[in-house]
Amino acid sequence: MKKVPIAPRPGWQAFAESVGFQFHTIDNEPYWDESAYYQFSLAQIEDDLEAPTEQLHQMALDLIPDIIRSEQQLSQLGIPEPFWDAVKDSWHRAEPHLYGRMDFAYDGKGPAKLLELNYDTPTSLYETGFFQWVWLEDQQMRGLLPEGADQFNSLQDKLEQAFAELPLARPFYFSSVTESQEDKGTVDYLMDIALQSGLDSRYIQLEQIGDIDGQLVDLEGYPIQGLFKLYPWEFMLQEEFASTILSSDTRFLEPLWKLLLSNKGILPLLWQKYQGHPNLLPAFFDDGKTALNPGWVRKPLFSREGANVELITPQGEKLQQGGPYTDSGYIRQAFAPLPRFGDSYTLIGSWVVGDLAAGIGIREDNSLITKDSSRFLPHIILD
Amino acid sequence: MQKKSFKRSRKAALIFMVPAATMVLQGCGAEKAVEAQVFNTPDECAAFYNPPAQCQAAFAEAQALHPQVAPKYANKQECEADFGTGQCETAPQQHAQGSFFMPMMMGFLAGQMLNRGGMAPQQQQQTAAAAAGRNTVPNQPLYKARDDQSTFRTATNTPVASQPGPTQVRPSAVQPKPATLARRGGFGAQAQQRAATAPRQTTYGG
Repeated sequence: MKKVPIAPRPGWQAFAESVGFQFHTIDNEPYWDESAYYQFSLAQIEDDLEAPTEQLHQMALDLIPDIIRSEQQLSQLGIPEPFWDAVKDSWHRAEPHLYGRMDFAYDGKGPAKLLELNYDTPTSLYETGFFQWVWLEDQQMRGLLPEGADQFNSLQDKLEQAFAELPLARPFYFSSVTESQEDKGTVDYLMDIALQSGLDSRYIQLEQIGDIDGQLVDLEGYPIQGLFKLYPWEFMLQEEFASTILSSDTRFLEPLWKLLLSNKGILPLLWQKYQGHPNLLPAFFDDGKTALNPGWVRKPLFSREGANVELITPQGEKLQQGGPYTDSGYIRQAFAPLPRFGDSYTLIGSWVVGDLAAGIGIREDNSLITKDSSRFLPHIILD
Repeated sequence: MQKKSFKRSRKAALIFMVPAATMVLQGCGAEKAVEAQVFNTPDECAAFYNPPAQCQAAFAEAQALHPQVAPKYANKQECEADFGTGQCETAPQQHAQGSFFMPMMMGFLAGQMLNRGGMAPQQQQQTAAAAAGRNTVPNQPLYKARDDQSTFRTATNTPVASQPGPTQVRPSAVQPKPATLARRGGFGAQAQQRAATAPRQTTYGG
């Protein structure tokens, strides 16, 4: 694994905008960064990332039957009690799941360490599945990358197959928060793939979803029977329509049981069951109050994009990221340093579609906490 | 883009995110605007040299449509937030917790004033032809938003005029539809609250 500088494609910004990638730059800061790429060997990809991703995914799924039988664990994970039965039902009915992303600390040597599971609302999908794929094709065409270069990125193929094969209601609705251009970009990409797979797909703003007598409805008042929502379950369960979730004849992507895995509390539960696994870091439930020791990281059960994460390096350097996720419990996890390349710290997001590993996307940040301002860089496989 | 590949997708293609494709879809069937008239009351309609009986008939049709098409709210506060204090009334429809509320009718759109005084016979024929075709403008109630009291709007919030009298409308934009009796806005509150404390946040995913 190494970082290699490369000339950006001339005019890539205009191209990005022409294919719906409006958020390549966010608040005048680059988000998509093609001034360099990461290079992996095939063995690094297959042995250190792909295989562990599928294994960890299976380990996490295997925890679910235990969790839904344990009131103590459901409480530890901060699942509101009125929704326990609905979570269990969604699992027992085997409601299908579409996708997720694991975040790893990995430097090319030794086992990748699982930092967390983003199993409810993972983003950076378009950047991974489409834009970095096109980048590789373009750079090969320009002769800057060899023909034999490959990429660990079967995301679009696997998503298209999933939409074609999953038992989804038709029409199927896609939804995101109106004000977020980035989330709309992610949802547009998913809808695009769904349409290509032949699924009758419609968009509705999350705020416009209606409720008639306990059934979620679209703008015309027709029942919504299948809904992809790029919006955290833990938010939905606190909002006005929370009770509608229980009464509505609607199947969701991701299904409600994903709330158990998108939760940072899954990390201590994984550690309890698989203590010493090479890809796991020691992790424990935490009261959020006791002072953190050097070499530990504290994270809220529910948090996105590095918000409200606090860490102390083994050398005693303290880092804290503010944010709006202060209303849930916490976990603490042993610190695994992100590898440093130049001035940047590098994180690997490893995608899962259905139950298969489907590619990686790389984020770089100026700090050890990867945030929503982190840059996205493309990668290649070349031996 | 097809590729014999190893660890990556055979293709990565977009069909609807690419604006060029969207433009082709939107390009066909451009629709012409037609003339319709907007009034506060039947008397005002007659004052524009329309036959009073037709004014009364158009008004009556609009009034009859009003409870069916007016936007419905589960409570008065939500309705008044959109239409202004004292501008909402009880709707005939009920929901589990009580009655729906709807804005009061603030005027009407008259789409088919065929015998208008002073209109040339040729114009009349054109209007009649239009009325017989699909591009008719049904008589219907109009409303005014709380923060824009000068604009007449249809029940589906399409602005049609800022003063009484003749106006140009696209027929497809002013077709009345039964209002859905849905409560809305029940998802998204957490995003709004959290955006206030973390204004830089760009995604609710992660």
